[in-house]
Amino acid sequence: MSHQAHTVAVRATGVDMFFGTPENRVVALKQADFEARRGELIMLVGPSGCGKTTLLSVIAGTLTPQAGTVEVFGQRLDGLGQEALTTFRRQNLGFVFQSFNLIPTLTVVENVMVPLLIQGRPFDEAHARALAILDKVGLKGREEGRPNALSGGQQQRVAIARALVHEPPLLICDEPTSALDKDTGAQIMQMVRDLSRSPERCVVVVTHDHRIFRFADRIAEMEDGRISRVVDDPKLLDTTHL
Amino acid sequence: MYRLALNMLFGDRAKLAMLLCGLAFSALLMAQQSSVFFGIMSWTYTPMVNIRAQVWVSDPMVEQVNDAKPLRDTDLGRVRSVDGVAWAAPLHTSFVQARMQDGNFKLITLVGIDADTFAGAPAVLTQGRIEDLRLPDTVIVDEWGAALMGRMGVGPDGKPKNTPLKVGDTFEINDIQARIVGICKVKRAFTGGPFVYTTYDRAKGYTLGARRTLSFMLVEPQKGVTPAELCDRIERATGLKAWTSDTVIWSWGERSLARNTFWWFWTNTGIPFSFGTAVLLGLFVGIAISGQTFYSFVLENLKYFAAIKAMGAGMGVIARMLFVQAFTAGLIGFGLGAGMAQAIGRVMIEKGMPPFVMFPQILWATFALVLGISFVSAVIGIIKVSRVDAASVFRG
Ligand SMILES: Nc1ncnc2c1ncn2[C@@H]1O[C@H](COP(=O)(O)OP(=O)(O)OP(=O)(O)O)[C@@H](O)[C@H]1O
Ligand SMILES: [Mg+2]
Repeated sequence: MSHQAHTVAVRATGVDMFFGTPENRVVALKQADFEARRGELIMLVGPSGCGKTTLLSVIAGTLTPQAGTVEVFGQRLDGLGQEALTTFRRQNLGFVFQSFNLIPTLTVVENVMVPLLIQGRPFDEAHARALAILDKVGLKGREEGRPNALSGGQQQRVAIARALVHEPPLLICDEPTSALDKDTGAQIMQMVRDLSRSPERCVVVVTHDHRIFRFADRIAEMEDGRISRVVDDPKLLDTTHL
Repeated sequence: MYRLALNMLFGDRAKLAMLLCGLAFSALLMAQQSSVFFGIMSWTYTPMVNIRAQVWVSDPMVEQVNDAKPLRDTDLGRVRSVDGVAWAAPLHTSFVQARMQDGNFKLITLVGIDADTFAGAPAVLTQGRIEDLRLPDTVIVDEWGAALMGRMGVGPDGKPKNTPLKVGDTFEINDIQARIVGICKVKRAFTGGPFVYTTYDRAKGYTLGARRTLSFMLVEPQKGVTPAELCDRIERATGLKAWTSDTVIWSWGERSLARNTFWWFWTNTGIPFSFGTAVLLGLFVGIAISGQTFYSFVLENLKYFAAIKAMGAGMGVIARMLFVQAFTAGLIGFGLGAGMAQAIGRVMIEKGMPPFVMFPQILWATFALVLGISFVSAVIGIIKVSRVDAASVFRG
């Protein structure tokens, strides 16, 4: 029991999430249970509209579910106010988005500095750490350029640098490769795996892309607003509908 | 984070340029129009500035300096006998036609001053001596008037050329000769000018013995008597109206003739309204252009603000970022606009037209209004960003 408490990074139980008005209700999550462990990379897969992004948002503390409990690193998110959730995200989360979401009017290094500056780190420290991680993602020499001058793969590498620069215990990626070609997608996933690998860190990746399933430690399959099964080996999945 | 906020603002050159244009334009319009307004209003009490007497006495019905209701010459004696008066001198002002050598008529402002004290004489003569006014048929003309009354001819280059009047030239007022013995520098006025100075007694002659010629009395208090105090005494003793002569708009007292003149023009003319409209227009243009541009800047960056929110920035930080952006634009826009207003003002002051008085207070007020525009823009942006859901970052 105490062993489990140490390994569990994220635990969501009986989560309900509806959108819309009571008359016109969209059920996004219905009694969803989900668990992710420290040190693993877990993928969330399933057909479009099954609730992957919604579940990810609930775990990230950007959406508050109508029912159920959400626990991340021992902290209960349900019942927290906006301000506490904001603080939680600032301290625990790194994000990688499908559409990169890099600020086009800032330089590459400035984009990477954002999470540290939000944490209130001094500018110089943030700058140094951003440069160091940009080196790790292979973007040395591109620091002062604008994100738009980079290829999609390079932009996503900037996003990975930004997501990890403050060493968050939880890394959340929504469709990180779907805007990229096959080879670039694989490189990006390899990079996520290599850089985020840490016994304490949990990585949750939502994806449609079965070509990257091999980077997962475990795969959770979703269907109609709930996790239908969790497998250790991608070959066990029926990927025809994905 | 605020440094990045600035870089975000400066990173979008086109938006920034538009934002600055809007802010600068409205700052320019507000500062420039207010300065011209105060310039014109200061012209209304120009005689106060040019004539420099401590106390003015007028008919009780007089409301402002350009509206002379002549007094009896005997009133001078009554005022002189009031306790505390060091001396009192007569002053005549009237509008008369002057006939130039070439036969053209010009409307002039005739100023008759006391030949003994020269009270009310112009402070600066560029040519001639004030004492020469004691010679027969003599006048002193102001510089600008001398040019206005000058003779049009053809220069050596074939272009029209104006030869201003100079010492020695003559013209006629009501068929009586006027010989110029001096050229003076005086401040331009809203009504009146060219200013033609002569002695009080000769002014009577020039106006063909008008029944009353005493427009104002200029009074000097004795040592130890304040102008305001003396005004009270004169009013009590004579039933006439007495005024102080402070012309400093920020500190003038209730008895100031300049102040009463200013407010008379304020309430009885459309000047404040038309300039007020222009200043308001500047404000609205500023709010419209800058507010709109800043809003579209925020809209364009909404996605990124949402991402920053998702990454854990509270609304406080984001609000401060937007304020930094809006106020920085406001500061630069104000600088540009005020700079342009000052440059235009310099040209205007050089030409003397239109009048231009840019009080520091005008700049401060413009500064405050521009910051107000920035504030409104920022608040609109903050409301917009506060409504965007952090969860929206995962969409599209
Ligand atoms: N903000 C919202 N308002 C209304 N309905 C929503 C909202 N967000 C999600 N939904 C609905 O909830 C359901 C689950 O959406 P979600 O985005 O979680 O699916 P998904 O599995 O991520 O799909 P995809 O693979 O297409 O990204 C869908 O029916 C969607 O239309
Ligand atoms: Mg999705």
